[in-house]
Amino acid sequence: MTGPVRDEPAAREGSTLHEELTALAERLAALGERPAPPCPDAVNAPMIRHWTQALGDTSGAWADVAPPAMIQVWSMPGPVAKKAGSIADDPLRLLDENGYTGVVATNCDQTYDRYVKVGERLRSTMRFGGVAGPKRTAMGEGYFVTWFQSWYGEDGERVAEMLFRVLKFKPRQRAAGGGKASAAKPGRYPLRPTIGLDTRFFWDGVNDGELRIQSCADCGALRHPPGPMCPACHSTNRTYRTASGRGVVHSFVVHHHPPVPGRTPPYVVAVVELEEGVRILGNVIGCEPSEVEVDLPVRVAFQRMDDDLVLPQWTPANAPEPEPAEEPEADADGLRIELTPTFVIASALATRDFTPVHHDIELARAQGAKDIFVNILTSIGLVQRYALETVPGAVLESVRVRLGVPAYAGDALTLTGERAADGTLRVRGAVGLGDHLTATVTFKEDAQ
Amino acid sequence: MSLSGKAAIAGIGATEFSKDSGRSELRLAAEACLAAITDAGLTPADVDGLVTFTADASAEIAVQRELGIPSLGFFSRVDYGGGAACGTVAHAAMAVATGQADVVVCYRAFNERSGHRFGQANKGGGAGSLGMEFSWHLPFGFATPAAWVAMQARRYLHEYGATSEDLGRVAVAMRRHAATNPKAWFHGRPITLEEHQASRWIVEPLHLLDCCQESDGGQAIVVTSAERARDLPNRPVLIAGAAQGTGPDQMMMFSYYSGDLASLPAMGRVGERLWRQSGLGPDDVQTAILYDHFTPFVLMQLEELGFCGRGEAKDFLKDGGIELGGRLPLNPHGGQLGEAYIHGMNGIAEGVRQVRGTAANQVPDVTNVLVTAGTGVPTSGLVLTAG
Repeated sequence: MTGPVRDEPAAREGSTLHEELTALAERLAALGERPAPPCPDAVNAPMIRHWTQALGDTSGAWADVAPPAMIQVWSMPGPVAKKAGSIADDPLRLLDENGYTGVVATNCDQTYDRYVKVGERLRSTMRFGGVAGPKRTAMGEGYFVTWFQSWYGEDGERVAEMLFRVLKFKPRQRAAGGGKASAAKPGRYPLRPTIGLDTRFFWDGVNDGELRIQSCADCGALRHPPGPMCPACHSTNRTYRTASGRGVVHSFVVHHHPPVPGRTPPYVVAVVELEEGVRILGNVIGCEPSEVEVDLPVRVAFQRMDDDLVLPQWTPANAPEPEPAEEPEADADGLRIELTPTFVIASALATRDFTPVHHDIELARAQGAKDIFVNILTSIGLVQRYALETVPGAVLESVRVRLGVPAYAGDALTLTGERAADGTLRVRGAVGLGDHLTATVTFKEDAQ
Repeated sequence: MSLSGKAAIAGIGATEFSKDSGRSELRLAAEACLAAITDAGLTPADVDGLVTFTADASAEIAVQRELGIPSLGFFSRVDYGGGAACGTVAHAAMAVATGQADVVVCYRAFNERSGHRFGQANKGGGAGSLGMEFSWHLPFGFATPAAWVAMQARRYLHEYGATSEDLGRVAVAMRRHAATNPKAWFHGRPITLEEHQASRWIVEPLHLLDCCQESDGGQAIVVTSAERARDLPNRPVLIAGAAQGTGPDQMMMFSYYSGDLASLPAMGRVGERLWRQSGLGPDDVQTAILYDHFTPFVLMQLEELGFCGRGEAKDFLKDGGIELGGRLPLNPHGGQLGEAYIHGMNGIAEGVRQVRGTAANQVPDVTNVLVTAGTGVPTSGLVLTAG
């Protein structure tokens, strides 16, 4: 058994590439802010309407100002326009030529100084951020390339800034037959128990809101986890007792790394000692990890993970009883978007992203994708939609998105979130393959 | 009848330890086995037994084919992850002592860094009894070895007032030892306690530097009778004790449901058996190789094996007890935190080198070495003695 180790710097075999890249990055960074491709249209109602309709935003909140997550849309070139150059083109090309042919976007952070008004003409600039690498990553060895784009209003004031980061990598040669495990069903919590003849009573109980502890029907010994034969008297006659649901934390951990599908770190896992004298493991929810300690009194809280699975969890005993209607994670159902081909294509075009992988299945497959997939501008737009549906009336200050697995047509994207103590909203967008994105949304203070 | 002294380790061999071997796991296994057989002064034709981990990807018959071994008379696998390490040698010794085999090679080879990484989130244990065990844990995002160890570590710190710095002293010592071992991945790269404390959380209370590295590589060990070993080129390293063990209510890393979380009863059982078999005790070994996948279990092992009392390991460490020149120089090769993570098999090889007197960080006047395997799981151990 072993622990995870941070990404090791990969061997610098192509040291000449590394040197060339470093020099190029320094040169580009020294250029500072440069004019970027023009914003061909003023901020306008028809484009906003296409965007809101494609993304399913029915709030009607965008009569006078544009949705902030649309900011990049205003400077996207059309399909006919010659693809305008990005400030990162040269390093990306250099990496391409040296075998780093794969590319995935990893981060997109947008900060909104203010919302832009309908009728406004915007201007945009770009500046180079830097390169970092070579790094070993799950995709293969690669370099992270970062750049920034800013938008300015007619008054000359900046209205928004975006950080964009991609990983350029040498695609790994996968061993034959070493394919990934089959994808889970969309919208389904991926970490599922195996349920067998000896354990079904427990999970049935959890579904009914009961914490059932196996007890021997002959000698009465309690036992958890349950099993088919009483180790004390060897009877196979079993029954169960419904536990009071009260106990204390016997030990606990706070998970930070590595990523676990279906989970947003940090989270607490505890061994709880029940009043009845047996121990059981679960998450402590409903409080900050820093509030958990050994001997903390807790009580059971049944958490619905999806349509078919409820988990017995733990919450501090002195925490207020949740409203019956409210699950511990109030929006465990979240915002679910069926990713039909029409949705993927319409939203890509409404965000003025005409890259073929978002609408042409043959070309998408030729590039190693299994289908067309959702573009990043749409993903950010959906985070905005989710954030404003969760915190109605708020004004967005920033959206920081970490991108994960692709959201393919045919899948479903489920956005769920948690409001942190400092008011930020942590959002997770899950698809069948795992996390499509995790995001942190902040709101303007005065509007909360 | 006792196993003690009947069998000996006559050869050791390994590949390089790396982060990306660039070769198949079977090739690593074959290379390590050939190196060990050659080190023993034998040829593959002399080998009639092979033992590996249940977890190993290379079947005994595949290794047999690569090495051109004409036929095998004994083959066996040992289960439970890294807990198997010393168990492979125990099985080999039993086979040799009972005449089931003449020359048995124990091997473990994997691309644990460039291929399947154990430190990543576990996907489950199938539909058998192991799958049922995992089902009480994985659904809660409790999915990595670091997390499983951290659960016991938290309770240990709580019960004995030990701190993260006490755990850090293990990591610092291992990296210091590795710094002067040219075969170690962290050769020339010691760390400080401040660096340990500043390293990011993996699973609280474990920092990154409480977790061993992930490695690619292979290690093999040749076991034959004590008698035959005396006719071979290397100084024979006798197997004075070899034991496997589980504790009450044992699970695969999840033995949380009864008893004391701040202890490792399976290792306690292995220790008792080893001392009884070998007729030796903690004061009789000059160095020990304790399985160090995560720092907290090094402290608990020192207590289980009788090197100090319950809760006293932190004081043992503070006094420099595990340093070269200390009361019990521990893992002079740097352990799995410093040399490489070869599932404990590289530790057995270090035990052999210490008895032979050929280690990079040689402890003076070694006659007896204790070696242990992975803990938290059903485990195993060896006492090796100069022949």
